[in-house]
Amino acid sequence: MRKLLFFIPFALFIGLSMFLFSGLFSDPRQHGSALVERQLPQFQLPDLMQPNKLLTADELKGEPYFLNVWGTWCPTCNAELAFLTQLRQQGVRIVGLYYVQPLDAAFGERFDLPALQQDVQQKLAGQGDPYQFNLLDQHRTLIFDLGVSGAPETFLVDADGVIRAHHVGDINPQNWPPLAEAYQKLVRK
Amino acid sequence: MIPELGQLALTFALALSLLLAVVPLYGSFVANQRALLLAKPLAVGMFLLSAFAMACLMDAFLNSDFTVINVASNSSTTLPWYFKMTASFGSHEGSMLLWVTMLTLWTALVATFSKSLPLLMQGRILGVLGIICLGFIAFSLFMSNPFARSLPFYPVEGRDLNPLLQDFGMIVHPPMLYLGYVGFAVSFAFAIAALIGGKFDSTWARWARPWTLAAWMFLTMGIMLGSWWAYNELGWGGWWFWDPVENASFMPWLVGTALLHSLAVTEKRGTFKSWTVLLAIATFSLSLMGAFLVRSGVLVSVHSFATDPSRGLYLLVFFLLVVGGSLFLYALRMHAVRSQARYKLFSREVLLWGNNVFLLTATLVVFLGTMYPLFHKELGLGSISIGEPFFNQMFFYLAIPFSLLLGMGPWVRWKQQTLPPLLKPLTLVLLAALTLALGYLTLTQQLAANLALLGMLLGAWVGMSAIGEVWQRMQQLGGVSAGFGRLQASHWGMTIAHIGFAVLVIGVAMTKTLSIETDVRMKIGDTAALGGYEFKLLDVYELKGANYGGQAAEIAVTEQGAPIAQLHAEKRFYPIQKTVMTEAAVHARLSRDLFVALGEEMPGPSWSVRVYVKPFVRWIWLGGLLMALGGLIALLDKRYRRRSEPSATPEQQQEPVNA
Repeated sequence: MRKLLFFIPFALFIGLSMFLFSGLFSDPRQHGSALVERQLPQFQLPDLMQPNKLLTADELKGEPYFLNVWGTWCPTCNAELAFLTQLRQQGVRIVGLYYVQPLDAAFGERFDLPALQQDVQQKLAGQGDPYQFNLLDQHRTLIFDLGVSGAPETFLVDADGVIRAHHVGDINPQNWPPLAEAYQKLVRK
Repeated sequence: MIPELGQLALTFALALSLLLAVVPLYGSFVANQRALLLAKPLAVGMFLLSAFAMACLMDAFLNSDFTVINVASNSSTTLPWYFKMTASFGSHEGSMLLWVTMLTLWTALVATFSKSLPLLMQGRILGVLGIICLGFIAFSLFMSNPFARSLPFYPVEGRDLNPLLQDFGMIVHPPMLYLGYVGFAVSFAFAIAALIGGKFDSTWARWARPWTLAAWMFLTMGIMLGSWWAYNELGWGGWWFWDPVENASFMPWLVGTALLHSLAVTEKRGTFKSWTVLLAIATFSLSLMGAFLVRSGVLVSVHSFATDPSRGLYLLVFFLLVVGGSLFLYALRMHAVRSQARYKLFSREVLLWGNNVFLLTATLVVFLGTMYPLFHKELGLGSISIGEPFFNQMFFYLAIPFSLLLGMGPWVRWKQQTLPPLLKPLTLVLLAALTLALGYLTLTQQLAANLALLGMLLGAWVGMSAIGEVWQRMQQLGGVSAGFGRLQASHWGMTIAHIGFAVLVIGVAMTKTLSIETDVRMKIGDTAALGGYEFKLLDVYELKGANYGGQAAEIAVTEQGAPIAQLHAEKRFYPIQKTVMTEAAVHARLSRDLFVALGEEMPGPSWSVRVYVKPFVRWIWLGGLLMALGGLIALLDKRYRRRSEPSATPEQQQEPVNA
């Protein structure tokens, strides 16, 4: 018995090293957010182009879709617009979640909706418009709830409003196939 | 050609480390004296070659030899010469070579200063160190070669050193920290040598003590300098961030502190034997784990070096072999050892046991806080992060009983202590602590039932108790003037280190509770008031440095009209790395820091300026400095320099003995 007691440090160490070993080979990009397989957080956000219209999580239900976090200020987001537009033309439903960068009121920066709308319209007219519509998250509440670390990030949400996948970085023809498969599975259901 | 010489020297060092790992250990098993005698020259040779390789790397940096990839990525011609030198250990490759140099330095020191040890032990200790050196030299040479060339196509200008690292703190912080980290390899080697020999009398503990003390002292200095550097350089007035890499250095420190105290028990009383061996293994294992975490990218941190799974895999396998092997050996050998010493519930043994319990709980808190995100992720539960509040709260709860115990520890005797003789001095200490803490806070009108009060009380309790105990001891030794000299150096060391802890506790509590800050937008001539001080922006002008540009602000500080200081804050822009750095202006006094950081320029023209008043923040580093000083003084104790065979003379019963 006493003999076994002295093996405890060794056993604990072996347990620890197994974690270290698997940690070494896991890609942080493949580990989804803590929200995968959970309901999309509740929100009530205006449509960017029609700010009088408020949208909620429930209103988006009914059909699977990609929720794409982006901004005109983000070069990688602009780069993926063309490919996302192609996808939309193939019938993939994509909803935009517009990421407004923090503004500092103390230094005279004001939120200017018309200017933003014009900026977005110009961008989408030039690069292609993949979005069914864009949610305007002016205070980044939903973005915060989703644990977004940067743009672009994309969430695959099923017809019941459950997040099924989380993709960090741009979507391009190389990394699209697994997402496409997940999406098709949800559509067929 | 000089980088090739460095590479060659490192290759020879590898060969010597291979011999050192094999020959003396072999000699210790077959009792071959010539094989054992070879250990010392091998160790010294290995160090000289590694140091030569490091010098070659420094030379390449000083001469801006951009054909060496490492130089091109981490230096530039515009860098001042002293930063060129420190850039040689600013990158992963360079810092690994520094690590190797430090490790071989310790090995050579052990070889030189172990004449009093039996030859068999010398051979085993140096052999174990040789195995560790072999692992790291091979890693440096094969997995992260600092001398790799980019010929024939090399850049004409380097990518410059990360501006964060262009600071005085960076010149001394890494060497100190690494000396501490790898210094624990020595106590580890002593423990393993004792395990191989199967002899666990108190002698191995006596031999290991000065080495552990030295490593601990350097690690204390290293951590303290790192904290000081972060405060000056990161520009947000913080001094500790619970960043995974900071934690990786803090864990060996905590366990190393426990080891120091446990070694005292093993040496003086011949008990806690298996526990001390385990602590010696754990301390170095945590150093190794720190190296793995920082260099493998398993944990993401601002300190991390570029990640590379093959490097991580190498370090992990090495870590597994060394730590797994030693823990396995521990399990095989240690269960047969039993301690015979007897002690009562109220005795120094039990109080030191309490010290170990709290220090290890603290280690566990840091360990879980650092590793929990990894466990969580690998168990498929998603990514999470653990922040400052968790650590702060846990350390708050741990610090209270720990400090109470620490205030009592030095008064209590070995074996058993009765309460009555302690009542009077401890009541006096308590009264002195209450008077001091309440008195100071009342006089400065900051008395409130908060963390500052608690920290002041605990700090005063520990500090007063340490001073009182030394006072009493000197009285016993024949008065203050006579006792001052007669008291052992190690006792002074302990007292100063404990006072250092008290100073640290006060600093942390006061800074956490009473710091105030404000963000203001200022035009030239504007004044901002904070904490009774007025900060007037006198002037902002363009800055032109050797490898940076930017703006500098002159700020006059007054207190009720009386001038205090003129501060000079900078916002630097480093064009090669395209980074903006804040050089905060700090006016430091023992009772408070005034900290001004210059922000962005706004139309107007005006500037955003961040101002902090941080009471007692200096005490945090002063506390660390005192702890390290205590370690140094204890190291000067005469008995560590005894030439004769220690086990030959019966152990003197030296009351008072220190912990």
